[in-house]
Amino acid sequence: MSCATDLKAYALGEVGGREKAVLEDHVRGCQNCREELDRLNLTRAALASLEDEEIPRRISFVSDRVFEPRWWQTIWRSGPVMGFASAVVLAAAILVHGFARPVVPPTNGSDAALSEQALVKQVNELRAERAADLAKFDQQLKATTARLEAQRQADLATFQQASEYYQKQMARIEVASNEAYRQ
Amino acid sequence: MIFREVEDRDLIAKARRGHVEAYNVLVSRWEKRVYNYLLRLVGEREDALDLSQDVFLKAYQNLKKLEDPAKFPGWLFRIAHNEAFSLLRKNRPEGEITAEPKMAEASGGLFPIESTLAVRSALARLSDDHREAVLLKVYQGFKFEEMAEILSCPVSTVKSRVYTALDLLKQTLAPVNSGGRQ
Repeated sequence: MSCATDLKAYALGEVGGREKAVLEDHVRGCQNCREELDRLNLTRAALASLEDEEIPRRISFVSDRVFEPRWWQTIWRSGPVMGFASAVVLAAAILVHGFARPVVPPTNGSDAALSEQALVKQVNELRAERAADLAKFDQQLKATTARLEAQRQADLATFQQASEYYQKQMARIEVASNEAYRQ
Repeated sequence: MIFREVEDRDLIAKARRGHVEAYNVLVSRWEKRVYNYLLRLVGEREDALDLSQDVFLKAYQNLKKLEDPAKFPGWLFRIAHNEAFSLLRKNRPEGEITAEPKMAEASGGLFPIESTLAVRSALARLSDDHREAVLLKVYQGFKFEEMAEILSCPVSTVKSRVYTALDLLKQTLAPVNSGGRQ
């Protein structure tokens, strides 16, 4: 066959589109190519006569721990399960927090009276402590105010001295200036 | 065909997460094709069956390495190709003339009724490379580009193998093609 057409590719279904149309057009008008294509198609048909055999034993795999993901891998890889697990952990944390709070002592009979006295005593102690803190704070405040006032007075005296010195200097300069003018 | 493709993708995704049953469904869809490809390549049913099991086991173990699930068929046949040629190299050292597989019984007269035997015999007379090229192209319907990926060789080499094999088969099967008229 002298034609440059790729009949094998065509016979094997590898030619499409415009190339296929051009090739089919050529084959219609070319005796050699037509005969060659017939031979190829017959060969394909002969090959197709060989049917697939059934597999003698079905292949299947049983669940094997070697290949199975571990429980934590399953949870870790699953978004919904992970979300649910987080919600469970959060709920558990809330519950634990609720149960772990200090237990309120029982309030019945003499125990109640005792606990009231203890409470009053505790309140009084807290009040005394607070009053002491306030007194201490007051003292500190007064001391600080006094220190700042003393500092202010000292600064004021320094400023007055400086001002007086400045005025004296200005007066001297003025006198000297007048004398110089007269001369 | 599109639905089937989507289902295969789902099965692959499930199998990747460790669902053995999903993988078994995938195996049931492909085992016949893989087995017949291997049978026609190595010629022995027991070998083909053992290889098929190895292929699917390796595929399962490496399923996470499959980047594009749409390429599963080519990827699977690449594993099958490697397994088959590993066995062929072991059983048939390089340079040795291709032995005709036992299952391909020699046929004397080429009558139409013996067409199947004639085809088996003709395939068995091809070299491993040429026979595999025909198996992947004609029986498995892969495109030249896909075959190049499976066989790890250029498309031009694939085409050359397929065309040469087709020429040889055309000559060998000529009497069968002409309906046994001799």
